[in-house]
Amino acid sequence: MRSARYFVAFLGAFAVLLAACSGGQQPAGGGSASPSAGTKATYGGSITFGLENDVSNLDPMLSGLFVDRNIMYAMYDSLVRVTPKGDIIPWLADKWETSSDGKTVTFTLRTDVKYHDGTAFDADSVKWNIERYKTTQGSLRTADLASVDSVTVVDAKTVKFNLKSAFAPLLGALVDRAGMMVSKAVQTAVGADFTLKPFKAGTGPFILTEAVKGDHYTLEKNPNWWGKDKDGSKLPYLDKITVRPITDADVALTNLRTGNAQVLNRINGKDVAAVKADSTLSYLEVGSFSWNSLVPNEAPGFIFSDHRYVKAVAMALDRDEILQSGPAAGIGLVGWGPISPAHFAYDASFKPWPKADPDGAKKLIADVGKGPLKFELLVPSGDAGILQAAQLIKSELAKADITMDLKTQTLNEIVAIQQKHQHLGMTFVGWSGRLDPDGNTYDFVVTGSPNNDSSYSNKQVDDLMAQQRAESDPAKRKQLLLQAQQIYTVDDPSRVWYGFGVSPLITVKNLVGMESYPDRIPRFQAASLQK
Amino acid sequence: MIRYILRRLVLMVPVAFLVTIGVFVLVRISPGDPALTFAGEERDPAAIAAIREEMGLNQPVPVQYVVWLAHVAQGDLGRSFQTHQRVLEAVTERLPATLELGLAALFFSVTVALVVGILSAVKRNSIVDLLSTSITLAGVSFPSFFLGIVLILLFAYVIPGHIFPPGGYVPLAQDVGDNLRRLVLPAITLATASLAVNLRQVRSSLLDVFGLDYMRTARGKGLHERTVITRHALKNALIPVVTLIGIQVGAIIEGAFITEQIFFWPGIGRLAVQAIPSGDYPVVQGVVLVSAFSYMFTTLVVDVLYAWFDPRISYGTASA
Amino acid sequence: MIVGGAMVVAWLLIALLAPVVAPYDPIKVTVGDALRSPSLAHLLGTDDLGRDVLSRVIWGSRISLSVGLISVGIGFFVGVSVGLAAGYLGGKFDLFVMRGVDALLAFPALVLAIAITAALGPQIQNAMIAIGIVAIPAYARLTRGQTLAIRSRDFILAARTVGCTPLRIVTRHVFPNITNALIVQATLSTAFAILAEAALSFLGLGPQPPDPSWGQDVAYSTRYLANMKWWMSVGPGLAIFSAVFAFNFLGDALRDALDPRLRRSG
Repeated sequence: MRSARYFVAFLGAFAVLLAACSGGQQPAGGGSASPSAGTKATYGGSITFGLENDVSNLDPMLSGLFVDRNIMYAMYDSLVRVTPKGDIIPWLADKWETSSDGKTVTFTLRTDVKYHDGTAFDADSVKWNIERYKTTQGSLRTADLASVDSVTVVDAKTVKFNLKSAFAPLLGALVDRAGMMVSKAVQTAVGADFTLKPFKAGTGPFILTEAVKGDHYTLEKNPNWWGKDKDGSKLPYLDKITVRPITDADVALTNLRTGNAQVLNRINGKDVAAVKADSTLSYLEVGSFSWNSLVPNEAPGFIFSDHRYVKAVAMALDRDEILQSGPAAGIGLVGWGPISPAHFAYDASFKPWPKADPDGAKKLIADVGKGPLKFELLVPSGDAGILQAAQLIKSELAKADITMDLKTQTLNEIVAIQQKHQHLGMTFVGWSGRLDPDGNTYDFVVTGSPNNDSSYSNKQVDDLMAQQRAESDPAKRKQLLLQAQQIYTVDDPSRVWYGFGVSPLITVKNLVGMESYPDRIPRFQAASLQK
Repeated sequence: MIRYILRRLVLMVPVAFLVTIGVFVLVRISPGDPALTFAGEERDPAAIAAIREEMGLNQPVPVQYVVWLAHVAQGDLGRSFQTHQRVLEAVTERLPATLELGLAALFFSVTVALVVGILSAVKRNSIVDLLSTSITLAGVSFPSFFLGIVLILLFAYVIPGHIFPPGGYVPLAQDVGDNLRRLVLPAITLATASLAVNLRQVRSSLLDVFGLDYMRTARGKGLHERTVITRHALKNALIPVVTLIGIQVGAIIEGAFITEQIFFWPGIGRLAVQAIPSGDYPVVQGVVLVSAFSYMFTTLVVDVLYAWFDPRISYGTASA
Repeated sequence: MIVGGAMVVAWLLIALLAPVVAPYDPIKVTVGDALRSPSLAHLLGTDDLGRDVLSRVIWGSRISLSVGLISVGIGFFVGVSVGLAAGYLGGKFDLFVMRGVDALLAFPALVLAIAITAALGPQIQNAMIAIGIVAIPAYARLTRGQTLAIRSRDFILAARTVGCTPLRIVTRHVFPNITNALIVQATLSTAFAILAEAALSFLGLGPQPPDPSWGQDVAYSTRYLANMKWWMSVGPGLAIFSAVFAFNFLGDALRDALDPRLRRSG
């Protein structure tokens, strides 16, 4: 999973400076989200976080799954972090400066940070970490750091990233796993077991002290963490977090209601209303970066090479029924393209088909003149919610005389089919989303890009997407992104986007100080348990 | 006797080979690309090629089999594509939960079968007998997953007080009470199918024994009816029952795949079932192999015990 | 036997006449009718997509019964051929083939069916094949055993001396002598096959949605257990039970009637 690779190209050097300046005024360590007026944070207490699946890997270098990051954000710090609104803020790096040619970024590091094992965090450590991510065979972070040529230690608290060419999105990558710092002493001592038992390896607000695969992970308070709340009190407040994988959302919710868990970050749509009405629980949500789509997958004899068919499907979908009024309501936001409300470039007025238009779709298919449209949709097996949505979509398309047969396959098979272009119909595959809109768009629509499964190619889109990457003025960049979006969703559609995910955060009422982030990862450093 | 055991062991070797080939082939013919699974959302072709190389997926299939078999022989079942955990470790971590559930189910099914089976055999054609024979027939026909769902509905949601939780597992070491509370519904679910088979077996073998000469002799000697049943009939009737317990290991392994899924019981069955949709072949392979070998082993033990108990079995016959 | 037979016939009729007896279209989504509890309009209620549960149960019988019958057909055909050949020819062939059968028996039946279907891909045809393969050993062993027993009897020896070909001997003389046992076995293994199909579908290894399938519908209903939409599970669940019960019941009765020697183990 590529982490937010292309963050804030729009702000360029200007934004970087701005963020650096604002660094001093913000409470360090994301304490801005500390308890609302009137309630005072209390120290102590233990909570259980019900994670949706077991973690795969706790080494930031080798992790490829979303669940992993839920634990990593508590145990590791990265060089920079984001606010819930998506602004990059100082974290392990106090400030940073990009050279005028954009080819070097110099980070000034905090000097009050130690790894949980007692070793020092300094410029040497940053260099070692980045080099490990870049050069180790099998590293999943190489793409994130592809723009980095070398890392130079200037002095103990200053480290310089030398880039191959100007690449403002680098900062976005350093928010996530590519910017997470692990203790060299721990990593070299533990060896192969580092993947699942990286005890005391981070600098974060909590220390991983126990990992029982498939059962639970224990995070204990780091009493020496550097972060402080807005009153200057030391963070974190909580003594202990137990992370327990609970795969079924219903069971997880039951656990929350019976006091066996205090935090969840997912819920079935059918339960949202009840949770909102429950006075013992608190429900927060924010639009996420993720989107859902039907992907025409190119192969010889490909039906959707006539993009009017893609458009017909896009028109016939009743997005409102899928995401708002239907049985799955409450777990997504209606959308028509890949740029989500959580992105700066989102355009709320972009609603090409505010209502389902089966008649328009019929007409379009008649215009093509090759008879009725019939295709097969590959659906990842094993998830009842996805199955539900797919069946709903099938019934909606039927209203436009479009026959869509469903076929469930393992996700792994579907990905392979996409890669090798062996499917004539569509596949039902979403994207977990990236901080920068570029990460939600570029690779899916630009000619020859790795995620462009329909082999879509539109010269105008290619040009616009290249331009936005180079554009430093956010307003202009937004315009370019939206111009391209109009083409690849409506004028000459590449695939069918129908909605965005939301990031829910469900906690017990007396757990305060937490915020929902578009990436759905809970941040625990400012959480406190009210007595 | 020893010759019989040796013979059985020798016969097991080619079967074991066929089993490993079967398991390996099953996984190899599966569609999808392991390297892609391993890479997650990463789509960089170079990274994927490197992963493929490292996983040995570029070698010819027979070579892959030999390499795999050599590893299996050393207890190395490979690593999960998804979690990168050693499969053997994943299986051994989950085994206690499966064993606990399986033993509880076995205990439940055997005790109930003995009690009800004896009652119904002794009081043949009584209400108890009628009831037990109908339960037997119903029990083998009732899908275990539906039984599990009915139990969850009743005990976790409908009946006030929510006597048992709808699922989940707490290790025995952590909280004995909670562990046992969570064990009840899945154990009943898992036990029911084999309970029906056991019940039928206890009843019919007792009835067979009742008809035998020495029983008549015992009765003729004027022995008390209870003594006749406990001393003579039961002892002989138990032989097939004991062997049945062993054979049920198979029923319990396969039942675990379903039951663990319904009750979110983190055993090896659930491990495999969860690995299927994500295409995590080494895990599926590992669990299937482990269950096949444990099933083969228990079948062997049972056959040997059976031969031990019942001298009428000729040691010469190859396979029963 | 009459009860079991009547139930089997009833299910077969329901499957055949599904378009006539089902009150609604089993796959038609009517969002406005979602999650209705049982009523006169919907005797078994509706599911989360507003589909009539009763109609889905009725149509689902087609899949369950056809998988049951076809997979038993596969197991029967392959198993009986292998068993006859092994039993009659004996020697190396017998040894080799029966080790293969042993290998199949080394797996718990359902685990093998799951593994095969997972490997071939979650499709109904693959589920049939998997269940069929799992059913082979029972027929093979039964047939081989009976063939061995009959082979040395006088009338076979007589046939041989008259110059009958092995194929003729097997089909004319051996096969008719084991039909009773095979009929019993086929009935009972249909019950197993229906149950196995339901289990595979329950695990998502059965037919493709939105085709109605009992096991799959039960699995799908589990996410509404906590919301107490019990009717979504109960309809298809009881359908599986009654169909399996019917074949088991019939099988038991047939065994008692056709093959008194086997009654002992019943």
